[in-house]
Amino acid sequence: MIRAATTPHPRLGVVKLASCDGCQLTLLNLEDELLAIAERLDIVEFPEATSHRSNGPYDVVLVEGSVSTPEQLEQIHEVRREAKLLVTIGACATAGGIQALRNFADHDAFRAAVYAHPEYIESLATAQPVADYVKVDAELRGCPINAAQLVELVTALLTGRRPNLPDEAVCAACKRAGRVCVMVAQGIPCLGPVTMTGCGALCPGYSRGCYGCFGPREQANVSSLSRQFISLGRSPQEAGRLFAGFTGYAEPYRDAIVELGGLPGASLAGERAHRAMGAGVNAEGKS
Amino acid sequence: MTNVTKSAIGFLPRAGFQHLIELLAEDGRTVIGPTVADGAIVYGEIHHVADLPQGIGAEQAPGHYRLVHHADERFFAYAVGPTSWKRFVFPPTLALGESRRDDHGHVSFGPAPREIPRLAFLGVRACELAALGIEDRVFLGGPYTDEDYRARRANTLIVAVQCAEPAATCFCTSMGTGPGIRSGHDIALIELDEGFIVTAGTPAGSAIVTRLDLAEATAEQLTAGADQLAAARDRIGDPVVTAGLHDRLLAKLESPRWAQIAERCLACTNCTAACPTCFCTSVSQRSDLDGHTATTERRWDSCFTKGFAAVALGGNFRPRVQDRYRQWLTHKFATWIDQFGTSGCVGCGRCITWCPVGIDVREELNVIAPPPQVSAGPAEAAQPHAPRSSVFRVEGVRRETHDTVTLALSTPDGIDWSTARGEFVMVSLPAVGAVPISISRRLPRGLELTIRAVGPTTTVLTGLERGAEVGLSAPLGHGWPVAAAQEHDVVIVGGGMGLAPLRPIVDEILAARSRYGDVHIYYGARTPSDVLYTEELAAWAARDDLEVGVTVDRADATWLGRVGVVTHLFDRARWDGTKALAFVCGPERMIQATVNALAGRGLTPDRIFISMERHMECGVGLCGHCQVGPFFVCKDGPVFSLAQLGDVFGREGI
Amino acid sequence: MTTESATFERSFHVEGITRVEGEGTLHLTVHDGQVSDARLKIFEAPRYFEQLVVGRAPDEVIDITARICGICPVAYQISAAGAFESIFEVQIDPQVRALRRLLYAGEYIESHALHVYLLHAPDFLGYASAIDLAKDHRAVVEQGLALKKVGNALMALLGGRSVHPVSLRVGGFYHVPRRAELEALRPALANALTQAQATLDLVAQFQAPPFERPVRFVSLKHPAEYPLFDGRIVSNDGIDVGIGEWRAAFREEQHEGTNALHARTLSGETYQLGPSARVTNAADQLHPIAREALARIGLQEEIARNPFWSIAARALEILHYCAEALEIIDAYLPPAAPFAPWTPRAGAAGWGSEAPRGILWHHYETDEQGLVRSAQIVPPTSQNQGQIEADLRAFAPAVLSLEHGEATRRLEQLVRSYDPCISCATHFLDLTVEGA
Repeated sequence: MIRAATTPHPRLGVVKLASCDGCQLTLLNLEDELLAIAERLDIVEFPEATSHRSNGPYDVVLVEGSVSTPEQLEQIHEVRREAKLLVTIGACATAGGIQALRNFADHDAFRAAVYAHPEYIESLATAQPVADYVKVDAELRGCPINAAQLVELVTALLTGRRPNLPDEAVCAACKRAGRVCVMVAQGIPCLGPVTMTGCGALCPGYSRGCYGCFGPREQANVSSLSRQFISLGRSPQEAGRLFAGFTGYAEPYRDAIVELGGLPGASLAGERAHRAMGAGVNAEGKS
Repeated sequence: MTNVTKSAIGFLPRAGFQHLIELLAEDGRTVIGPTVADGAIVYGEIHHVADLPQGIGAEQAPGHYRLVHHADERFFAYAVGPTSWKRFVFPPTLALGESRRDDHGHVSFGPAPREIPRLAFLGVRACELAALGIEDRVFLGGPYTDEDYRARRANTLIVAVQCAEPAATCFCTSMGTGPGIRSGHDIALIELDEGFIVTAGTPAGSAIVTRLDLAEATAEQLTAGADQLAAARDRIGDPVVTAGLHDRLLAKLESPRWAQIAERCLACTNCTAACPTCFCTSVSQRSDLDGHTATTERRWDSCFTKGFAAVALGGNFRPRVQDRYRQWLTHKFATWIDQFGTSGCVGCGRCITWCPVGIDVREELNVIAPPPQVSAGPAEAAQPHAPRSSVFRVEGVRRETHDTVTLALSTPDGIDWSTARGEFVMVSLPAVGAVPISISRRLPRGLELTIRAVGPTTTVLTGLERGAEVGLSAPLGHGWPVAAAQEHDVVIVGGGMGLAPLRPIVDEILAARSRYGDVHIYYGARTPSDVLYTEELAAWAARDDLEVGVTVDRADATWLGRVGVVTHLFDRARWDGTKALAFVCGPERMIQATVNALAGRGLTPDRIFISMERHMECGVGLCGHCQVGPFFVCKDGPVFSLAQLGDVFGREGI
Repeated sequence: MTTESATFERSFHVEGITRVEGEGTLHLTVHDGQVSDARLKIFEAPRYFEQLVVGRAPDEVIDITARICGICPVAYQISAAGAFESIFEVQIDPQVRALRRLLYAGEYIESHALHVYLLHAPDFLGYASAIDLAKDHRAVVEQGLALKKVGNALMALLGGRSVHPVSLRVGGFYHVPRRAELEALRPALANALTQAQATLDLVAQFQAPPFERPVRFVSLKHPAEYPLFDGRIVSNDGIDVGIGEWRAAFREEQHEGTNALHARTLSGETYQLGPSARVTNAADQLHPIAREALARIGLQEEIARNPFWSIAARALEILHYCAEALEIIDAYLPPAAPFAPWTPRAGAAGWGSEAPRGILWHHYETDEQGLVRSAQIVPPTSQNQGQIEADLRAFAPAVLSLEHGEATRRLEQLVRSYDPCISCATHFLDLTVEGA
């Protein structure tokens, strides 16, 4: 729940973990509101935009990215201690992001397959959503987050009401927008029925199926939808890859991926890495 | 060619169809009709016959739709597509109002600017005419009406085209709505290969038709039209046996099939969005960064969404998808009839085609409620309008508990509300939100509201200070039948916040104490610090003409009273329930326990009145959220007798 | 690393460089007035993209690689699409190609306006951020935001949204706009053109720190267009290889203490990519409006010698792409089909495009079903990194006399001149490549 902060100018921090910076950029992309927001919030930490730094305390902190290095693990606990409200923004912070697909694979093998010198690399075995480690007060979904939802969050914060972020299927927004179902009319697999809206049903509006970047909605019936994809002529692997997107690590997408045959790339990575590394490195490899 | 005489039936050659489109445009109307976009025949703007789907149809099956090309040149050789006309008379999103709140707490409410387009619907099918008729009953037939809908509907001219190419998903024949056009149109067309048989249904339609260059329809043409209709009817058959469906369906509320459907159902809301009659909405506010100005927006919602039946503190009356599917299907085919005197389904088949996993209601109905007895009923009378907020000022704030306050509110314009009936008001604060709150006392120039901070809006409301303003709707819903209790004993049982709506009953009884028999007031709260109206309770208890019992679930060191559930307060009482009326309000579980205890003391269901909690958005029976079986809790309740609720009461997931 | 072991040793350490995209650390050690160590360390968490795309279909790769960078997703999408189209030999409709340039123009306008106004200008004007700058010069920041907004609007129309657009696929687009939709953007773009001129005049008045050095500029070169996503890879000192042949002239290496790879020429030398390189290597291909503007401000030599003047090159490219975008819109006719069909096959190809920060090169190997067997992605920042460090070494002695904080700010400003995109830089060499 979002409550009005008690000070006239709440202290805002924007913090980044493993991510592409696109969600923070969405804040800078609020061209019409940015300066007005800056007049109402003290932006005390936002390294991408300002050289002023602060380790807290924060009234609100927006966290982008997933926790995927030992330093980030320390950092997120520190941020939580300093923040009254911690809001995760984007698929990485809320669901682990695309990099969380490595969680399906053997991490050491994965790392060795892509690094010439894996020993130089500091990385946790998994990339996890922030809520796996600390309490999260609110979240904005999406890869990237939606600008209108960000404005809604900030407005709710400033006016002391609940942000209006409906938990309904992409389909609901799609039909309000008058779009024709791409799955029924064109046989294109679409994650819209199991994905939370917030994007404005973007992909069906561009003649393609939703790829789930806002993550699973409440009671997402992925098994029914998977069966439908297969009856539309997709192989289980193709159906599994559709779930294995930017929120693939979120339940129940995660289960669907495993059920449909996992990630071909991940298993391949393991295989190649083992070939390449030889027994010596395997010996210190993770279980 | 000459204009045909009035009595003859006209025929418009295909080449003359453009003229019809032009006449509609000349009438100042934007013509909306079928056109091909994104792989489907949708309804969009039509400027020219070239915009129509000439020679194009669609193959439809559960969860499947594909455009197909015909050999002929017909414009309307298709069955209904994904769009329904409801989006033009009942827009998917609609700005309802604009409100302001300044730094001094002054509030104001006004309507949102609105433009009602002048439209012509081209190509409306019989099932769609029926759907518009149903929407008319929903939005215009009850005590509260949707004036936006009324204006849009009044500004629309309907050109119907009889269906000749039904889809495999159609079942209008079963629902008694088609395929033949009977009423509701301004102009009706029957498309043949060479042109259209034309008839006018209203003076407005006639005004257009008489300007067309019509030939007289030949006997062959009329026969061809009739044959075409008969063939369409035969193709559809009668897939759903509707006789007795209402009762058959409601007898199967515990069918195992609901859970089986939920394994397939995505709860994605496509069926309700595609349905030409589904009318549920939700309302939200958008504001500027400072919360000074806000717009209230209504949008299509669906009984399949998570928040639809959710209430404060995380409660949800329909938590499972099977609950939601059951609500939808039983409403559409059964309780809709109780509410509006007609089925909510017209048999257009959209929910079948556009279900991404192809759930077929025809099949489900036949499985859940296999056949046969006819049911239907008459309807309603129309009256005033949906209420708009009036500004009320906070005259006093009394803190009841750590999270609950009672606000005394008065209207600056001096309207006397003391006699206004109704059980609750919608309280709105610009840029914050609107919530239904029970009236906890009627005052000569206002009322009292007891509000507990359970969410952001109530948190702001409980923080208001003297002088602040809020918006209040007129009192809504049906309240307690206190007058019926005259000459009877009265048992009042409240749990937690449930005492607030019961307080006006006590006020009313005490104002004419001699007219009532014995009066028993039982109240249970979670802890001593959650007890409302402590001084009043003490004052009531001090009277010798009231019995007052108070209990708490968990005591503390200061508590000297009873501990335990509220029903324990009258476990050993000696009064005779057969002479009493009971008024019960509190959490649903407490109500259930109380009702059982009261029944055990001889109170019959017609003498037990309860107030139901449900998710309310509009307060006037137009948004659909608060439905319980055949009832809208806001409009038909929130106070019901147990007899009225029947087996709906206490059922899980309803 | 921050200890000062000798009286004559000084360290400049910036833990978390601000106003750059991603997380990096600057460390410089000066001993007796000589820079003994200069390192731009990249601490961005590794995300293993080259492995994540293995086993994926080409259209999925377009969406996945976009997530390497939220600032230049179009660059990733175009580079990936180009590589696959090269493998599958897909012919792109000229109107589709024009739309891709238009989409990319949107990204340039947005990214460059962001950098010029929100990230880099505060350095020149002495502010900690554009938000602070706006307190004194609101109109300046508003002008930058207005330009950014036009770039975003172009991307949103063509791609659905400006960050991680959804419209690009192998062979073209999922969906192309109607002419009227593009024309609706014309007034805003025409206004942006004026604002871009004003931007150029504004930055031309900035004082760049005096610092000149010869540098190897690498960019794409196309016979008929300002370099964007076609042509050859060239340098101002004679490198000239096919767009798929990046490995014939350059290589990547991994260094300890950083999560990014460095790229060098095969002979081990550093080079610079980005706006200064393009403006220097292809000045004659700028839109006439931009060419004329360059003549007016007369900074061509400075751009070629002084990295701080990249801000002028960026402003020039904003102007160029506003002008080009208007021309594309005026000439637009919707293509017969939004995309050309293609048949998967086994193969391998490299392809590059000019991200706002410089060449972004992708190489993919596919199996018979068209699924990715291996990938190499070389982003611009890992290529610029060596040159950034070289510049830091060369520039540091000039700021040693300044107060420590001021000197550090100057060094940071130098790093920012490259518009480093650190999220991009964080990905890694494929084992098979190093072994080759």
